[in-house]
Amino acid sequence: MSLLSLRDVRAGYGPLEVLHGISLEVEPGEIVVILGANGAGKTTTMRAVSGMIARHGRVEFEGSDISSISAEKIVRLGIAQVPQGRGTFTELTVEENLRSGAYVRHDDIEADIQRWYEVFPRLAERRTQRAGSLSGGEQQMLAIARALMSRPKLLLCDEPSLGLAPLITQELFEVLKRLNAEEGLSVLLVEQNANLALKVAQRVYLLETGNVVASGTAAEIASDDSIRKAYLGA
Amino acid sequence: MERFFQYVFDGLSFGAIYALLALGLVVVYRGTGHLNFAQGEMAMFCTFLTWQYDAWGVPFVIAVLLGMISGFVMGAGTEVSLIRNVAKKSEAGVFVVSIALFLGLNSLAAMLWGNLPPEQMPSLFPDEPGDFARIFGAVWRYEYMGILLVALILMGLLFLLFSRTKFGLAMRSVASNPESARLVGIPTGVVLASSWGIAGAMGALAGTMFGATTGELTAGLMFTIFIYASAAATLGGFDSPGGAVIAGLAIGVGEQLAAGYAPGWIGQELRLGVALVIIFVVLLFKPSGLFGSVKVQRV
Repeated sequence: MSLLSLRDVRAGYGPLEVLHGISLEVEPGEIVVILGANGAGKTTTMRAVSGMIARHGRVEFEGSDISSISAEKIVRLGIAQVPQGRGTFTELTVEENLRSGAYVRHDDIEADIQRWYEVFPRLAERRTQRAGSLSGGEQQMLAIARALMSRPKLLLCDEPSLGLAPLITQELFEVLKRLNAEEGLSVLLVEQNANLALKVAQRVYLLETGNVVASGTAAEIASDDSIRKAYLGA
Repeated sequence: MERFFQYVFDGLSFGAIYALLALGLVVVYRGTGHLNFAQGEMAMFCTFLTWQYDAWGVPFVIAVLLGMISGFVMGAGTEVSLIRNVAKKSEAGVFVVSIALFLGLNSLAAMLWGNLPPEQMPSLFPDEPGDFARIFGAVWRYEYMGILLVALILMGLLFLLFSRTKFGLAMRSVASNPESARLVGIPTGVVLASSWGIAGAMGALAGTMFGATTGELTAGLMFTIFIYASAAATLGGFDSPGGAVIAGLAIGVGEQLAAGYAPGWIGQELRLGVALVIIFVVLLFKPSGLFGSVKVQRV
């Protein structure tokens, strides 16, 4: 059984339909990346999964339909989204951001906070600073750590590389790769930087104006000439 | 010097009332970004409700608590039934709705209770003419001390709620970024309704305590109080609860001093003008208020 499965999902904003019936799957323990140009519907796909917008069709998580469940409840089921642009609580401290990430949990969260401080030592140094005073890279680390505080089975990551220096981006992707390898965290990733994404992902979906136009393993996609031309710039 | 302390004591108590109402404005503003113009009228209406519970024979302390619960229900109910739906469609709509509530509650209170002879509002504290202490030669009425004390305790509890509880963290998260708050699983609807409810309950208490000092209740009870409270919220910064409290107390004291020391030819009515001039000057140089945060965001 797939962890996440979208079947013929339509979604958009008001009368504007952005996704015209897309289907995709994320297996347990997989990193899947959605590639596509601006306006292809990548972020909309993420928001359709996390419940931030109305969607039609079937969205199944661990076998049950979540297409009519609200965003707040979907977090409880085990899906956490790192929104595009990071969306940290800028007026709250780093540590408060992490605590609010664990809002849906009722067990002890101190060990988790320490754990993410170890993974991202720069957050530990800035634990009492307001998130708004952090650099873009640090905010992205915080956004990821905050999402992981809910102990999700599936992490939705919307363009984590946006506006970041290549080195920082690489560091973030290393962390995601490690969490995936060591703990089987499943990740659905949206990226514009295809070269980078293909290095961490196992499978790829190509999105074009609201439709899935190609899919395959990372190796297949990377070796497809026409796709290389269109998306990898080589 | 006696006169000075007299003005300070009186000012602190009225300032505490302004602060309670201002805090309500700030809590609502931080949560939803709206200025609730009906805040004062809600407080007035709940004050009449408190009076009514008392008139029905409920012990007064219980009546006050019931009044605060009514304020919570009224605030939360307004957010859920009116504000939430209107806000989705238009910001200006929220403004119109709160003005309509202002007028509606005022008329309703006048209709329900206006035909009775002037209502005596009981006090939570000893308020006989002889109930005061002399401090530095000035008269500090027990009632005024009580108002200040109760207001400070309530505000202290609110700050503990904000800073020490999970629900307080949720409230601050929603205020900071509603979208991200939903993404971490915070039920933003419950949080926003509670913000309005808390503001309503604080207003009810402020109105009840203030009503007791005026003796008789009228539908215009909270008019000027609301202006001072808005002034306090503006001065302190609309997103700063601590600022609202300090500014409320400062305006209370400042108003008493201005009225007390003003030359006779200017008259008592100067006080409101002084408050407004101070605010004007502050906003000119510090538009986010004295303690408000200037939004800084690095990208």
